[in-house]
Amino acid sequence: MRTRWTAMVAVAGVMGVAGCATGSGGSVEPVSGDDFAATATSDAPLTIMGFGLDDEVAQVRYDRAVEAVSGTDVKLSEGGLDMQQFLSAVAAGDVPALIRADRNQIGTLASRGAIRPVGDCLGQAGIDPSQFVGSAVGQVTFDDQIFGIPEFNTVQLTMANSDLLEKAGLTIEDVNGSDWDAVSQATEALHEESGGKLTVIGYDSKLPEFLPLWVHAIGGRMISEDGRTASLDSPEVEKALEWAVSIYDAQGGFGTVKAFRDSADFFGAGNQFASDSLGAMPMEQWYVNVLNEVSPDAPVVFDAVRGQDGEPVAYANGSAWAIPTASQNPAAACTFATEMVSLDSWMAAAKERATQREKDGLQFTGLLTGSTEADAQIREQLVKPSGEENWDGAVEAMYDANDHTFAFPANPADAEFRTAWQDAVNRVLNGQQEPAEALGDAQQKAQAALDSAWKKWDEQGR
Amino acid sequence: MTSPAPTSTESVTPTSAAEVSGPRSFRLRRRLSRAVVVVLLLAFSVLFSYPFVWLVSASLKPRSDVFDNRLVPKVATLDNYVSVWQEAPLALWIGNTLLVTVLAAAAVTVTSAMVAWAFAYYRFPGRNLLFGLVLSSMMLPGAVTMIPVFLIWDSLGQVDTLTPLWAGNLFGSAFYIFLLRQFFLGLPRELFEAATIDGAGHWQLFTRIALPLCRPALAVTLLFEFQAAWTDLMRPLIYLRDSSNFTIARGLKALLDQFGFGGEWHWEIVVTASVITTIPMIILFFLGQKHFVAGITTGGTKG
Amino acid sequence: MTSAQDTRAGTTLPPGTEGDRPAQGARKQSWRDGVRRGDWRPALLFLSPWVVGFTVFTAWPVIYTGYLSLTDYDVLTAPSFVGLENYQRLVQDQDALRAMNNTMVYTVLQVPLYVVFSLMLALLLNQVVGRTAGIFRTVFFLPSMTPPVATGVLLLLLFNGQDGLLNEVLAWFGINGPNWTTDPFWIKPGLVLMSLLSVGGSVIILFAALRGVPQDLYDAAFVDGAGFWRRTWHVTIPMISGALFFVVVVNTIAALQSFTEAYTAFFGVGNTTYSNEAAELYAIHVFRQAFEFLHMGYASALAWLLFLVIMVITAVQVVVSRRLVFYEGGAR
Repeated sequence: MRTRWTAMVAVAGVMGVAGCATGSGGSVEPVSGDDFAATATSDAPLTIMGFGLDDEVAQVRYDRAVEAVSGTDVKLSEGGLDMQQFLSAVAAGDVPALIRADRNQIGTLASRGAIRPVGDCLGQAGIDPSQFVGSAVGQVTFDDQIFGIPEFNTVQLTMANSDLLEKAGLTIEDVNGSDWDAVSQATEALHEESGGKLTVIGYDSKLPEFLPLWVHAIGGRMISEDGRTASLDSPEVEKALEWAVSIYDAQGGFGTVKAFRDSADFFGAGNQFASDSLGAMPMEQWYVNVLNEVSPDAPVVFDAVRGQDGEPVAYANGSAWAIPTASQNPAAACTFATEMVSLDSWMAAAKERATQREKDGLQFTGLLTGSTEADAQIREQLVKPSGEENWDGAVEAMYDANDHTFAFPANPADAEFRTAWQDAVNRVLNGQQEPAEALGDAQQKAQAALDSAWKKWDEQGR
Repeated sequence: MTSPAPTSTESVTPTSAAEVSGPRSFRLRRRLSRAVVVVLLLAFSVLFSYPFVWLVSASLKPRSDVFDNRLVPKVATLDNYVSVWQEAPLALWIGNTLLVTVLAAAAVTVTSAMVAWAFAYYRFPGRNLLFGLVLSSMMLPGAVTMIPVFLIWDSLGQVDTLTPLWAGNLFGSAFYIFLLRQFFLGLPRELFEAATIDGAGHWQLFTRIALPLCRPALAVTLLFEFQAAWTDLMRPLIYLRDSSNFTIARGLKALLDQFGFGGEWHWEIVVTASVITTIPMIILFFLGQKHFVAGITTGGTKG
Repeated sequence: MTSAQDTRAGTTLPPGTEGDRPAQGARKQSWRDGVRRGDWRPALLFLSPWVVGFTVFTAWPVIYTGYLSLTDYDVLTAPSFVGLENYQRLVQDQDALRAMNNTMVYTVLQVPLYVVFSLMLALLLNQVVGRTAGIFRTVFFLPSMTPPVATGVLLLLLFNGQDGLLNEVLAWFGINGPNWTTDPFWIKPGLVLMSLLSVGGSVIILFAALRGVPQDLYDAAFVDGAGFWRRTWHVTIPMISGALFFVVVVNTIAALQSFTEAYTAFFGVGNTTYSNEAAELYAIHVFRQAFEFLHMGYASALAWLLFLVIMVITAVQVVVSRRLVFYEGGAR
C-alpha cells in the first residue's frame, strides 16, 4: 500500500527523448513579450496554486521569491495542484496568476492554450534554457516552445540488500539491470518462499510504473520525439514488458509479490531492506533519505539503473512553474518563478537543508534541482562524504543517473496515454491478456487520444 | 421508551413485563439469548472501533514505527501532536469548521423538516412528481454539477469565503427531506385531527406536534449533517484559497500534499491530524446520540 | 388575474394540472383525503425553500450539464457544439460499459448485504439500554467519522492478501483468503466488505425507527406466543418499513454512485502503481474523463446516462414499495 505513494513521482512514465532536448529556438511570441517586462507593473495580486510550504527547501526559496516581487500581494493557496480546483477557477474566469504543476501536465495545458510560453520570461530574467537539465526542458517543450520552468528532478537508482546478495554469491552488478539474464537468475536465487507464502522478494521490476525505464534500457521508446505518435506495440516495448513480467511470474505472480510489497513498512524501521525481505529494486532517489533516516544500519547498497550498454539510465520527472494565459499579473509571476529556481535560491535552500540534516545527525545527500549549475554547486560545496561507503555510493549513483536522464516529450494527451499503457501492463500482470495483445490495444487507444488532442491544436493553426 | 436504570452494565431490556416472570427453562433461554446479544455487540464493537484505535495508536508512534502493525506503540510519544500543532494553524481551522458545521447542520435541519412536512401531510396535485424531483437531485453525479454550482457562487462573489460550504443547506437537502418524510408519515393521524379540532393552525401542527414527535429523526439529521460538513473535502477544496479560511479537512489535505519532489510522505502527521479532527465529532456524537431514543412513546398526545 | 393564479405561477406544478382541483385517482380513505381544497397554499409555504434551492442548485446545473453533453468541452477553452457525438461515442465505449458493469456488480452485492447488516446491528442496539448503549451507538458510527484518506490506507492493509488481518482471521477457520487488493476477481467483493464498515448511518436511522415501534404491539405478539424471529418478521419489519424503504433507496443511489472508497484505494493521487480496471466504478470513470482527461462534455453525457439509470431503478423501487411499505399515518 505504501508503495503506492512512492510511485507518485515516478508516475509520469513517459518515455522517449533522451537527455538532449532542443530548447525553444528563438520563436518569440510577440503577444506576451512585453507582459514579462519589469516595467509591466500590475496591481493585481499574485495568486499561486499548486505549491505548498512543505519543508525548508520550499520555505527558503518562497521567502526569497516573495521578496523579489515585493510590493505585490502574494496569495498562496497551499497544496498540490488539484485539477478540480484549477478548472473551477478557470471556468469562473478567476485564473491564478501562477501555477506549479507536474511536468507531465504541461503538454496538456499548453495544447489547450491554458498556459503561455515562457521563453520571453526566461529571456527577461537572463536565464538560458540550457542551464536546466535537458530532459526536463524536453518535457515542458511543446511545439518547439518552452511552456514551463523546470524545478526539481527525480531519477531512479538500483537499491539492493548487500547481505542477501552476498549470501547468494552475487554482487550489485548482477541486479543493476545491465544484464537482464543476470537479473532473472538473481531473482530466482534471491527470492524465498515458505509454506506457500513469499518471504523474500528476489527482485522487483516495479511494474507498471517503471516500464518506460525497461523499454529505454534496451533502446526502445514508447512515443515519438515530436509527441505525436505512440509506439506501444513496438518490439522493444513488448520485450521489456515480457521480461519485467517474467520477474514476477518467477516469484508466484504479480498479485502475490504486490500484496507482499504492500504489507511492508515502507517508510519505517521495518522496511524491506531492514527486514531482509527484498533483494533489489529500482526506486527514486528520495528513498535514500528515508532509508538513511529510519534504518541507517540496514545492509543496503546502491548503483544507478543501467542499460544493456552499462551506461546509467533514468527517466526524469519533477515539477515546473507555468504562467496561465489569463494570468492577471504575468510580470510578477515571471519574477517569482524565476527567483524560485535561481542559483542563489537553490544554494540558500540547500544550505538550510544541510544545516537541518546536520542538526538532526543525518547526512545531507544532495538535491536534484533540475538546474545543472545549481546541482553542481550544491554537490561541490555542501555534500560531504560521510565515510560510509554505501551512503556515499548512493549520492554518487544519484548524480550519475541525473546526468543520463530521458523524459517523454510534452504530450497533449498525457493522462490518457499513460492510462492506456498502464492498464495494458495491469491486464498482463493479472493474466487477462498476453503482452502483444494488450500492447496492441493500448497502442490503438493511446494513438486515438493523441490524434484527437493534436487535431485540436493543429486546427487552431498555431 | 426509557427504561429503569440497569442493574448490570450490559443490561438487556426485558422486552416486556410479561417476560420477567415465567417458567424456569424460559428464563434460561432468555439468559442465553442475552449472552448472545452481548457477545455479538462486543465483537462488532471491536471490529468497528479497530480503525480508530489503530489511528490513535499510530499517532503516538514516531515516524519510523507508524506502520509497524502494533496496536500498542513500542515507544509512545506526543511529539506528533506537538508538531501538528506547530505546523498548522489548527485552532483557526477548527474555528472555521465549527462555524460551517453548526450553520450547515442547523440550516439543513430546519428547512428539510419544513419541506418533508409538506410532502408528508398535505395532498396537492403533482405531489408525487415533485417528490420524484427531490429524489432526482440525489442522482446526478457530483463530478459534473460541481462546475455549474461553482459558477453560481462565483457570480455571487462568494468564492474564498465560507458561505458556499453551508448556505446551500438553507434550501433543504434531498437526503434529509426523504428521511424526515418517512418519519412524519409514521405519525398517527388522530393526533392531528384532534389538534385541528382544538383550533391549531398549520404552523402549530408542524411545530407543536410533528417536530417534537420526530425528535429522534431530527437528531439524526443534525448529527449526520454535522458529520458530513465536518469531513467534507470537495467543497472546501474548490472554494477556499486562502489558508486562513481553511476547514480542518482542507487543511488536512494541505498537510497531505506535503509530498513534493524534494520530500516524502509524512504519515505520522496525517494520522495525528486525523485523530485531532475525529475526536470532537466523537464527543459531539456521544452527547447527541441519546436523542435517538424517542423521548415520549408515540401514541400519547402532547401539545 | 387572480392572486391564486399568481401564486400558482411560481410553483412547479406540471402544465395542465389545476392547482385547486382534487387530485385524480384519490383512492383509499386516508386522512389526507379529508384535506380541504386549496391545501396547496400552506403546502407551498412549507415547500418554498426547496423550490428556490431546486431551481438554482439542481435544475440549472442539470440543464447546464445536459447542454454540455452536446458539446466538446475541456473547461480550459469554450465549449463547441457537436450535437449527439458524445452519445454516439458513449454507445461504443467499451470502457464505459465495463465501468457500468463494475458498478452494477458492486451494487447488487453491496445493497442487500448493507441493508441486512445494518438491520441486524440496529436490532442488536435495540436490545441494550443504559449508559453503555450510548457507547455502542457511537462505536458503530466511528468508521464514518474518520477521514477516508487515513482509513483508506488502513483498509488496504487489513485486506492485504499476504498478511492482512482479514486473511489471518480466515486462516483460523482454515480458509485460504484471496488477494483482495490485487486479484481482479476479488477486488469488488473486497470493496463491498470495506463499505460495510461505514454502515453506521443506516444503523442509526433504523435504530431510531425501532424505538418508535409501540411496545403494546410486542406485548400482544408475545402473548400470542410468537418467538423472536416471528416478532421481528411480523411486527418489527412492517412497523419500520418506512425507514427500511428509505435505507434501501438511498443506499442504492449511493452504491450506484460510489466513488470515494474505491478511488482512495485504487486511484487517488500518486496511486498509479495499480490503477485497476476491475475497481473502476462508473462514477470513477466519469470523474477521470472530466478531470484527468479533460473531456467534460463527454463526462456530462456519461453522467446523464447514470442519472437515467438511477432514475429507472429508483422508480422501480418506489413502485414496488407501494405494496410493501406500511405507514401508520395511512397508505400513501
